[in-house]
Amino acid sequence: MRRLKAIGVIMAAGLLAAACGTSSAGGGGKSSAASSVLTIDNESGSLWTCNFNPFNLSDIGYSFGPVYEPLIFVNSLQNSKATPWLATAFAWSNGNKTITFTIRSGVKWSDGKPMTAADVVFTFNMLKKFKALDINSVWSVLSAVTQQGSDKVVMTFKAPAVTYFYYIADQVGIVPQHIWSGIADPVKYPDTNPVGTGAFVVKPCTPQNITYKANPSYWQPGEPKVKTINYPAFTSNDTANTYLANGQAQWGSQFIPSIQKFYLSKNSSYHYWFPPVANVSMFINLKNPILSNVAVRQAMAYAINRGRASVIGEYGYQPASNQAGIVTPTFSTWLDTSQAAGFGNNYAYSTSKAISVLTAAGFKKGSDGIMAKGGQKLSFSIINNGGFSDWVAAVNVLQTSLKAAGIQLTPKNLAAPAYQAALYNGTYQLAYGSETGGPSPYYELRQWLFSGNSAPIGQPAGSNFERYSSPATDALINSYAATTSTATQHAIVNKLQAVMLKDVPVIPITEQVDWFQYDTGSFTGWVTQGDPYAQPSAYNYPDWGQQMMRLAPVKK
Amino acid sequence: MRFALRRLGFFAVTMWAALTLNFFLPRLMPGNPAEAMMGKFRGPVTGQALKALELAFGVNTHKSLLAQYFGYIGDVATGKFGTSLYFYPQSVGRVILDAIPWTLGLVGVTTILAFVLGTGIGIVAAWRRGGRLDSVMPPIFVITSAIPYFWVGLMLILVFAVRLNWLPAAFGFDITLTPSLSPAFIGNLLAHAILPAASLLITTIGTWILTMRNTMITTLAEDYVRMARAKGLPGRRIMLDYAARNAILPNLTGFAMSLGFVVGGAILVEYVFNYPGVGYMLLQAVNNEDYPLMQALFLLITVAVLVAILTADIATALFDPRTRTAG
Repeated sequence: MRRLKAIGVIMAAGLLAAACGTSSAGGGGKSSAASSVLTIDNESGSLWTCNFNPFNLSDIGYSFGPVYEPLIFVNSLQNSKATPWLATAFAWSNGNKTITFTIRSGVKWSDGKPMTAADVVFTFNMLKKFKALDINSVWSVLSAVTQQGSDKVVMTFKAPAVTYFYYIADQVGIVPQHIWSGIADPVKYPDTNPVGTGAFVVKPCTPQNITYKANPSYWQPGEPKVKTINYPAFTSNDTANTYLANGQAQWGSQFIPSIQKFYLSKNSSYHYWFPPVANVSMFINLKNPILSNVAVRQAMAYAINRGRASVIGEYGYQPASNQAGIVTPTFSTWLDTSQAAGFGNNYAYSTSKAISVLTAAGFKKGSDGIMAKGGQKLSFSIINNGGFSDWVAAVNVLQTSLKAAGIQLTPKNLAAPAYQAALYNGTYQLAYGSETGGPSPYYELRQWLFSGNSAPIGQPAGSNFERYSSPATDALINSYAATTSTATQHAIVNKLQAVMLKDVPVIPITEQVDWFQYDTGSFTGWVTQGDPYAQPSAYNYPDWGQQMMRLAPVKK
Repeated sequence: MRFALRRLGFFAVTMWAALTLNFFLPRLMPGNPAEAMMGKFRGPVTGQALKALELAFGVNTHKSLLAQYFGYIGDVATGKFGTSLYFYPQSVGRVILDAIPWTLGLVGVTTILAFVLGTGIGIVAAWRRGGRLDSVMPPIFVITSAIPYFWVGLMLILVFAVRLNWLPAAFGFDITLTPSLSPAFIGNLLAHAILPAASLLITTIGTWILTMRNTMITTLAEDYVRMARAKGLPGRRIMLDYAARNAILPNLTGFAMSLGFVVGGAILVEYVFNYPGVGYMLLQAVNNEDYPLMQALFLLITVAVLVAILTADIATALFDPRTRTAG
């Protein structure tokens, strides 16, 4: 999801796009990819460090999936569908406060030693010892991880922890004890020659390119079918896009302006799919005295033309969001449509509705066209990451549509560090931004609404940037973690949607997608809309390891 | 001797000022490295990771800014630059060492080439004023030097890489090759350097031609040149030893300074051509508040520029005795 960096670059991209469009299926001279060599095209913004530590956020994306593997693969695109991986089975017990994993036998590390339950126990206890490795804070809920018998790993939690299953089973790569136990400081361990259980090994890595080679002793016989993968380091989006359109790479994870002309028109075997996974939203600082008035927030939710923000800001690639906060179509089954219908058809765009909400709350339009009450004007600044040209365009749409309802918006397009700092510390009025989703809509709702994620103004919050706090909502969120029943989970998420609709603490605007382009002329087995077996971008870990396993060269 | 000492003293004071600014400026930026990092990650990163990052980077250490400052001065004096945060856990030294040969090779060689060619053309153009070279070259290069170099780069990519497919558009060498000293690899390396080097050359050469030509013309009107002609010296000797030797002084200072700036890389050329140099790395360091990397790179640039200026001062003094007594 790399966005374009600067205006000059956009113009440049446009020039190249235009030029490439006119050259007849051009650049084909170099496109004869050797049949079993797959090249990934994903702008990283810097050269490779050739470090593969799966607990270092800078490196995890290049080792977790194809080299290191999870216990269970959880697919966000198929309602948390769980596929046994290094664990063959799992079972909850003790009121969902204990989970027991059965570890697969016959799995070998790429150096030939067998992988056992002891490695799993070691990995988790290392996260406990070195907090900086524990990216998802799994030890905030875990109390112990122990081995039982030869092939069982028992994890006990401080409280019911069903929602942590995703972070424990899918988001922790298992590492070999015989190597990692000898490392004094695993936080600083570069892991330049990773030994994992995965289908691929790194051989070799240069600052310009990571080469992955098939692991000959992989535990799934006959896999993988792709023998060599190149992962070049692209510092600019344009270069990466040109490389992809020329056919020098087959698996793209790129934002491409005018994709029809620039990419699809080049070859009939080129395709793309952008599945929505989370929301890009307008965060509202609830500690602001005017914005703490729910009528103002509701009016804004009505006044914003989400469809236009999607078309103008995002080339229509990112669909419009809804106020219930459920990403559709990915999580459509979770959307409580009848409940949302009761709130002006899920806050469908309506300037007149926005004005009537404000009028009912006592606001009057002043001579300058701005609504005000008791001398307080509805005039706000909105911070935005000025480096993301699509977000800047989308915020301009918000500005126009809110103005029609008498609300003045002043965009502040900040440099990334200043933007992040203001967002985390709550020193803003409105903010345009996004958070990560999860395997069900619950995860994003929890990030938005759980007061434990927040922090006082002036202190950095990891999420819940709007500083929403409601004991009833917190209790609701905690109760989800205590149930494995789908029906109960749905009932809870419906109530969380009601919070979104009534309180409007956040206004989702467009749906963030996974960028994904693929070439069926050289490889088969890609993730498609019809078979969404994993999140499809090369930057989705560990999902990209799943896709690497399924791909097979097309016989020519 | 007194001249050299005074220059060295000036050098030391500037150096200290640069070091101090180098320490405080990055810390005036809002936010901290952990927060900046959060914005960079893709994939399923949750807010929880902020805490893990702050731990790993040692953000919110309870050391006072002053204590950090003296620690930093001590580290610089002993050549310790610490660990890069953006490329965590690699050391800053290692990160820079990986990138600097590329920049020195590309930008350094191009700068020298542009200076030598530009000055040469300037000399000849002035000597044969109104001739064919003089009426064609300067106007063309006035135009090219006004074009931004990344735009020239994009045009070159468009023509030679996309349309004609003669030359590679990106990377320092073919990504599937392993670096070696074989002729095939060196050939590949050079092929990848042609377009970025050309874009730099085209846009920088004009300045050298123009300044050289103009000072040369002034010098040619000097009495000593007329006297040399009267003595019946060969034209070639007058052009090089009498006119060019005197006219080159301003260009030489400019050249020294641009050599100093070479270590800063050419950010946009590296960006456009996906070239593995320090310029783009510097931009990344700033964007991600990688204090240690930023400090080391800025320091490198400062030292290089100061050393280059010092060298230019001394060189000018050698060429032109007047500067030794005048100041």
